[in-house]
Amino acid sequence: MSIRNLELRARVVVEGFWNGLHRSPYHGFSVEFTEYRPYTSGDDPRFLDWRLFARSDRYYIKKFEDETNLRCHLLVDNSRSMTFGSVGYSKADYANTLAATLAYFLNLQGDAVGLMTFDEKIREYLPARHRPGHLRQLMLALDKPAGGAATDLASPLQRIVEMVRRRALVVLISDLLAPIDALDRHLSGLVASGHEVILFHVVDPAESSFNFGNASLFHDVETGRDLYIDPALARKQYVSRFQSHHQSVRSICDQSGIQLRTVSSDHPLELALFEFLSSRLKAGKKIRRAVPSSRR
Amino acid sequence: MSFLTPLFLLGGLAIALPVIFHLIRRTSKEKTVFSSLMFLQSTPPRLTRRSRLENILLLLLRCLVLVLLALGFARPFFHHVTSGPEANAPPRQVLILVDTSASMRRPEIWEQTRREVDRTLQASSPTDRLALFTFDRQLHPILSFDEWDRTSASERTALALSKFVAVKPGWAAGSLGTALLKAAEVLMDKGSVRDAAEIAREIVLISDLQEGSALDGLQGFEWPPHMKVSIAQVKSKKNTNAALQPVADASELAGDGVKVRVTNSRDASREQFELSWLAGDKTRLATMKIYVPPGQSRVLRAPVLPPTAVADTLLITGDDAEFDNRAYVAALKPAEVPLLYLGNESENDPAAPLYYLKRAFQQTRQEAVRVLPRSAADALSEKDLASARLIIATDVAAENRIPALQRFLQEGKTVFWAVTSPAAAESAARLVPANALKASEARGGGYAMLGQIDFAHPLFASFADPRFSDFTKIHFWKHRALQLDAAGKGRVIAQFDNGDAALVQYSVGQGTLLLLAAGWHPIESQLALSSKFVPFLYALLEMSGGLSRHISQYYVGDKVEIAGAPGTAAKVVKPDGTEIPISGAMRFTQADEPGIYRVGLGQTAARFAVNINPAESRTAAMDLETLQRLGLPLQEAGKHVSINRAARPQHLQELELENRQKVWRWLIVAALMVLMVETWMAARLTRPGSFPAEASV
Repeated sequence: MSIRNLELRARVVVEGFWNGLHRSPYHGFSVEFTEYRPYTSGDDPRFLDWRLFARSDRYYIKKFEDETNLRCHLLVDNSRSMTFGSVGYSKADYANTLAATLAYFLNLQGDAVGLMTFDEKIREYLPARHRPGHLRQLMLALDKPAGGAATDLASPLQRIVEMVRRRALVVLISDLLAPIDALDRHLSGLVASGHEVILFHVVDPAESSFNFGNASLFHDVETGRDLYIDPALARKQYVSRFQSHHQSVRSICDQSGIQLRTVSSDHPLELALFEFLSSRLKAGKKIRRAVPSSRR
Repeated sequence: MSFLTPLFLLGGLAIALPVIFHLIRRTSKEKTVFSSLMFLQSTPPRLTRRSRLENILLLLLRCLVLVLLALGFARPFFHHVTSGPEANAPPRQVLILVDTSASMRRPEIWEQTRREVDRTLQASSPTDRLALFTFDRQLHPILSFDEWDRTSASERTALALSKFVAVKPGWAAGSLGTALLKAAEVLMDKGSVRDAAEIAREIVLISDLQEGSALDGLQGFEWPPHMKVSIAQVKSKKNTNAALQPVADASELAGDGVKVRVTNSRDASREQFELSWLAGDKTRLATMKIYVPPGQSRVLRAPVLPPTAVADTLLITGDDAEFDNRAYVAALKPAEVPLLYLGNESENDPAAPLYYLKRAFQQTRQEAVRVLPRSAADALSEKDLASARLIIATDVAAENRIPALQRFLQEGKTVFWAVTSPAAAESAARLVPANALKASEARGGGYAMLGQIDFAHPLFASFADPRFSDFTKIHFWKHRALQLDAAGKGRVIAQFDNGDAALVQYSVGQGTLLLLAAGWHPIESQLALSSKFVPFLYALLEMSGGLSRHISQYYVGDKVEIAGAPGTAAKVVKPDGTEIPISGAMRFTQADEPGIYRVGLGQTAARFAVNINPAESRTAAMDLETLQRLGLPLQEAGKHVSINRAARPQHLQELELENRQKVWRWLIVAALMVLMVETWMAARLTRPGSFPAEASV
C-alpha cells in the first residue's frame, strides 16, 4: 500500500503474481471456452483446433466465449466504515487496490470490467467494457475518496440485477458492516439471474480481534455516534457478535452458492488474487458443467 | 513554622481536583475512531486501577504544585530560626519624635501620646538605638542617642520613660516639616558615626497631625535611603475646636473696638459658641452668642465692655478643646523715640532748620519721636545722651560738647550734621579723630543739585526706584565746599552736580557721623520742602537704630524686641507672674505661653500680648496622602502603629519576621519548577505512539 498510484499498485501486484506462476494455463486464452463449431470460410484460421483436426480430420473452430465474453462487475463498498484501518491504511485502500488488481488482471486478459462503487446509494457506475482508456477511467473512479455515510448493500445488488442482463461475474468487495437481513434475498436474486458472485469480505484485524487498550469514547465513523466503551469489558461480547454476523453471512453465501472470501486487510493482495483465480477455475468448471444448456 | 495568612492553606484542598481529573480525564478527552459500533454496547465509565497507576507520578507532581502554592500564599515563617538572627539583626536606629505643639493639649490626646511612646519604647529590641525628641517650633532632645548608648541596656527604657514623664505639650505652633528634617539630620549624623549605611533608620512620629502643622522644607527634600517614617497618629474623639485670634490690624485693639477672628475646626460637630470678655480669672463680661459653621471663620467685633470694666482677655466657650479659647489683647502704646537737636534757633522760626525738623516727625501709632532741642546754653545731660540714638546738629558745637559727642559716637550711635557754615563743618570734622577738613562757602552762580547719589546706601535705599530717584527738583541755593582728607576717611554718599561732596559719612568707633554740606531750611535749599525730606529723616532714624519695630501682638515662641537703653536693668513679667530680668534693648525669647507680658514697671511699663499661633487651632487631622505627596518615606500602611489596634504588635512582629524570611518566594519558585517537570512529563506521556495499546494495533 506504500505505492500511491492505484494503477501502478495493481500492476505491481499482478506482475508479481505473473512472475510467481510458473506456468500460465490462461495465456492467450479467454477465461471461458464454450464450444467447437465447424469451420466455415471466412473464419479466422487462427482459431482452428489443429489437434482436433488431427484426430477427426475436420476443421473445427475453437470457440471461446468470445473476446469479451467475461463481463466482470466489481462492486466496491465505498462507505465511511471502509475508511477505518488500524494497519496503516484503511480497508477502503485495501478494497480499492483489490478491485484495481482484479480489473487490471482481467483487462490484461481482455475481459470487460465494469465498476460500481456505492455507499448508501450508488456513487460511480462504469459498464463492463474492454476498451483502451477504460481501465484508466476505472482506476480514477476507484481513486475517489470514500464519502458515503452508511452502507446499503441492497440497492447496488438490486441495480446490478436490473442493469446487467447478460451473464456476468459479480465481485462484491465490502466490509459488510450493515444489516444483512435483505442480503440473502438480493444475493440469491443475483445468482438466480445467472451471474456468478464472489464476495470479498474485507476485515480489519482490529475489527476481528477488538484489541484496543484503554477505555475511551468510541466514535462510529458511519453514524457519528459516540459510545463510551471499555474494550476490556466489551471485547468478549463484541467478538462473539462479530463472529455470529460473519457466520450468518457465510451461511447466506453457502445457501446461494456464492463464494465468500474473507480477507483481512493485512493479508497480502497476491494471495487474495490467487485465491480468486483458483476459485474461478473451480467455479468455471462447475458452471460449465452445471448449466451448459442455459447458454445461448 | 507559623503562617501569616493560614486561611490560604485551605487552598491546599484543591489537590482533590487533579485527583478527580486523573480519574475521569481519559473518559472525557480521548476518542477512538472505529468503523462501526453495531456490535458494541456502551459500558459505564469505570475508574480502572490501571489508569490511576499509569500517571501516578504526574498526579503527585500536580498535587505538589497546588500544595506549594497554598503554602506560599499562606506566607509561612519560622519562629525559632529567626529569633536567633533577630538578636544579631543589624541594629535599627529609631528616633521617636513627639509633637508638643499647642494642639496636643486637646483632651485625650496627651494620654494617648504617653501610651504610644511607652509602647514604642517597649517594642524596641535590645540592639536598637533609640532617641526621644520633641518638637514644636524647634526640635528638643529628651534623650539622645549618646545617652541611650551610655545607659545600660536594662535601664534604657525606664530612663526614656522617666524623662518623658516631665514632658508636657507646650503652647507654641508645631513646625512638623522642620522637625522631620532636623530629625533626619540627627539620624544620619548618628548613623555615620556607626558602621555602614545599611542600618535601618526610622523616625517614629507621634503626633495629632493637625492640618495647621507647618510642612515647609519637606517638598523636594531628598530622603536618605534606608530611612523610614512611621506615623502614630493620636486622635481625639472630641473634635469641635473653636479658636479666637485678635485680628492683626491692631489699629483698634485698644478697648472696645477689638476685632477678632473666630474659627471652627473642619471636623467640628458644633457651631454655636459664646464669646465674652474675661476679667480676672472667672468673671465673664458682655457675653455674646456667635455661630461659626465647621471649617469656616468669621471676623467680628468683640462685645463692648461696660464703661468701668477693664479686661484684656477674650474667651470663647462651647467647644471641646480649651487650649486656644483665650485671646489676649494689649493696647499699643507708641514708643518714645528721643532725638537730640543741637542748634540755637527758635522752634517757631520758619527760616530755621528746627522748625522743619519738628514738623517732619509727627506722632504715629507706633512711635512718638520727640525732638529735644539743646541749645548751646542748655546742658547736654548724660541721660539725654543715653536715651537718644541720634543727634542732629546744624551749628558750630561748643568746645565742651565735643568729647561728649565723641563718646556718643563711640557707643555706636549716629550724629547727623547739616553744616550751615564752614565753621560748623570744621567743628563737626573734629569728631573724627585725626581728621582735617577744610570747608569754604561754595562759589558760583545759580544753584546746585544733587548729582551723584549712592542709592545702595541705607539713607537713599528707599529712593532707589526710578520713580522716586529724581532729586533734581531740589535746588541748593547755598552749600559748603568740603575739602576731604586725602586719606579718604570720609565716604561720599552724594555729590553736588559741581563735584562738591554733598553728604559724607565717617565711621567713628562703632558710630556714624554724617555731614550734609548744606542746610534744609529754605534759605539754604528746597530740601525741607520737598517730598523726600520726611522719608529721608525716617531713613536716618532707622539707620541710627532709633526706630524699632514695635509690635504688641506676638505668637508664642516669637522673639520680642524690647527697646531699652543699654545698661539699664529692666524685667519682663510673664503672665504667670515670674519675672525675668533683662538688660537694655534685647530680644526676649521666653514668650513661651500665651498671655499679657509686662515690661518695666510703673508708668513706663509696656505691655505686649502673646497668643497662640492660629495655625494650631486648625486641629482637623491632616491627610496622610499629603505627607506622601511631599515625598515622606512612609512605612507601608500595614505597618502603621496605631493605637486603635491594640492587638497589632504581635501581628506586626510576625509580619516583620515573614517579611525578612520571605519563604513564600522559594515556595513559588519550587512550584514553578515542579510545574515545568510536570509539563515535560505530561508532554512525554501524551506524545503520539506512547500508548502501549495503540502501539500494538
